[in-house]
Amino acid sequence: MADQTQTVDSPKPLDTQFIIDQARGYLAFGEQIAAMGQQLQGSAATGADWGTMLRENFAQFKTAILQSADDPNVNPELARLWNQTLDLWQQTATSLGFVAPADGGGDAWQAYRGVQNQYFDMLRNAAKGALDLMEKQLSERAATGQMIGSLRELYNLWVDCNEKTYGQMLRGSAYAELSGRLFNSLLACSPKRENTP
Amino acid sequence: MIGLTPEQISEELKGYSARLTEGMQTLRRVGEIEAGVSPRDPVYREDKLVLYRYQPQVAKPHPIPLLIVYALVNRPYMMDIQEDRSMIRGLLAAGIDVYLIDWGYPDAGDRNLTLADYIHRYISHCVDFLRERNQQDTINLLGVCQGGALSLCFTSLYPEKIRNLVTMVTPIDFHTPDNLLTHLIRYVNVDLLVDSFGNVPGSFLNFAFLSLSPFRLAGQKYVDLVDILDDATALKNFLRMEKWIFDSPDQAGAAFRQFAKDFFQQNKLIRGEVVIGERRVDLAAIVMPVLNVYATQDHLVPPAASKVLKDLCRSRDYSELSFRGGHIGIYVSARAQREIPPAIAAWLISR
Repeated sequence: MADQTQTVDSPKPLDTQFIIDQARGYLAFGEQIAAMGQQLQGSAATGADWGTMLRENFAQFKTAILQSADDPNVNPELARLWNQTLDLWQQTATSLGFVAPADGGGDAWQAYRGVQNQYFDMLRNAAKGALDLMEKQLSERAATGQMIGSLRELYNLWVDCNEKTYGQMLRGSAYAELSGRLFNSLLACSPKRENTP
Repeated sequence: MIGLTPEQISEELKGYSARLTEGMQTLRRVGEIEAGVSPRDPVYREDKLVLYRYQPQVAKPHPIPLLIVYALVNRPYMMDIQEDRSMIRGLLAAGIDVYLIDWGYPDAGDRNLTLADYIHRYISHCVDFLRERNQQDTINLLGVCQGGALSLCFTSLYPEKIRNLVTMVTPIDFHTPDNLLTHLIRYVNVDLLVDSFGNVPGSFLNFAFLSLSPFRLAGQKYVDLVDILDDATALKNFLRMEKWIFDSPDQAGAAFRQFAKDFFQQNKLIRGEVVIGERRVDLAAIVMPVLNVYATQDHLVPPAASKVLKDLCRSRDYSELSFRGGHIGIYVSARAQREIPPAIAAWLISR
């Protein structure tokens, strides 16, 4: 008998909440940009030059993004936007049963948390670099009169900048070493190993 | 800002929110997504393996069957994901008699399956089955990605059974400078991984793939999705790909251990040091015609990782087919449908 469609175990359906979360991140990004746009408009009315205006107002935008990086509770939607890799990692670890013990865990968990913090710092540095790159590219566009036609275009530029700085980090030997340690330190927390005499 | 006014941004955000709200209703109504569209019949089974024959689309298909060996990671329906994006359909239309190995989903009972089991037993049994079924001494073999590496191992160990070998986006040199997967696995304690889990969870591999480009693959892609939520066809196409991306079988522990260490970490394949069972894999034993298909923008298997085959095999009839695109686009893009299956079929039929 012909088997026309796949008779595979059904994978997880697309998580609509995940889509909503990503969309909320984009909306949070848009709100920050809208606030910056208003400030720029106000500055323009005073006759300040464009480069100065952009630097001053982009600094505020950058601060908002970085605050969400330092403390995701400040603006969880904004934090989610740039924190993709760590979120993915934590979701993966949780799905495999690696849940941090309420009492903080033993030595293995403490070691893992230390490595995860280092990993987080590395990701945050790449994200900071992306904001610097974005500011530079916006300045260059402003200098040549190139227009950003939509919020989405600006978001896409932000994504491009993040992919670029993240990609540079990813290709470095320090990232390979640290992500390997992250992996290995998590594995060392598995119950099976902790029970091994 | 640079042409954007606060009012414009506000309007854009409002429009986006509205599309998101409406689109979520569409998404909830879309129903089951099917993938794998061409009619096929199971012709051989062994453990979880099923060998399928795709129903020919011509009255008299080419007499030499083509066996497709897909990777152990991800599922083979990528080759036949929808009607207008199916490499298998293209091969059938060109008159090829197509068979495909579906590895199934390894479970705890498969943790001790080795590469020797996959090559000396599973692939070997499928090849012998097809030789007997078609009354041919040799058949054609097409290996895809990791399945290409397995096919190279098989062909070098059993060259007398393979008439023509096609490799698609197949890694051979795992230590080219631009090989990101090797870069990521370099410091991973593979023994600890396999000893901890038995089988290696597919979700770990998914993380590795997504982490290569997280802002696009886990963020921007879903932001853009909102724009197509009102287009049922585009939405279904998107969901079909999503289904495939996250449909990641666990990897049989023992086989993963050897593949990760010998191929990725130690790059033994190009040095002729891979041992399958008790037999050493020597790519120089590959003397039959070879078609090596690679994608110029492949971020998982860089072209250089594939093209080294030319120097390692001893085929006097070695050809390359270069596709301008990426690792996934080579199966599913519209241009790939026009370029790849007809070229492979013509190459096979002429040999």
